[in-house]
Amino acid sequence: MNRNWILVLIAGFFEVAWVIGLKHAYNFWTWVGTIIAIYVSFDLLIRSSSRLPVGTVYAVFTGIGTAGTVIMEMLVFGEPFQWVKVLLILLLLIGVIGLKVVTKESEDNVGAEAEGK
Amino acid sequence: MGWIYLILAGSFEVVGVTGINKVNKQKNWQSIAILVGGFCLSFFFLSQAMKTISMGTAYAVWTGIGTVGSALVGMFIYGESKEWRRVLFISMVLMAAIGLKFIS
Repeated sequence: MNRNWILVLIAGFFEVAWVIGLKHAYNFWTWVGTIIAIYVSFDLLIRSSSRLPVGTVYAVFTGIGTAGTVIMEMLVFGEPFQWVKVLLILLLLIGVIGLKVVTKESEDNVGAEAEGK
Repeated sequence: MGWIYLILAGSFEVVGVTGINKVNKQKNWQSIAILVGGFCLSFFFLSQAMKTISMGTAYAVWTGIGTVGSALVGMFIYGESKEWRRVLFISMVLMAAIGLKFIS
């Protein structure tokens, strides 16, 4: 696997980490960790999307972030599993990824927009 | 109240993304202030929203509002295309977000 794609995967894991931190951080050091995770995930995402197709990078990244937070909250933090919720989040994810991919295809000058996340 | 925080978080994310676009075009302190301020407020409101809304739902809707918001800004302010596929995906995100609101 291309080294840049590994950066995208790591960015996705840090994304899940800061989301967990934002909800569960409880003291100074857990907040520091959360802020570092935000920085690392942004930095890796921007780096990798300058060398890889932005639409695909964004799709993989958002997919990891969304699936990761849903799986973690159910496995680790005791949220109940609800079919309706999982299906709605899946629908939302298809919409977000579809929008990014279609936008990248049809507009040449909005690359920066997709790097926003 | 959680959902109002979540909508604010998504809207400030759009502000932050606008900041990134401005910084890419011209690196001055106004653009950087929009970028940093937008994302800081966005993360602040997201953490407030997650006090009452589950993590997975909050993150998904936050991403959704951010993406749809940026697309709408592009379509209505910067004259990007309003082709049917974009409109379709935007409506999917909005329907899913409304659905999540009702089951939460």
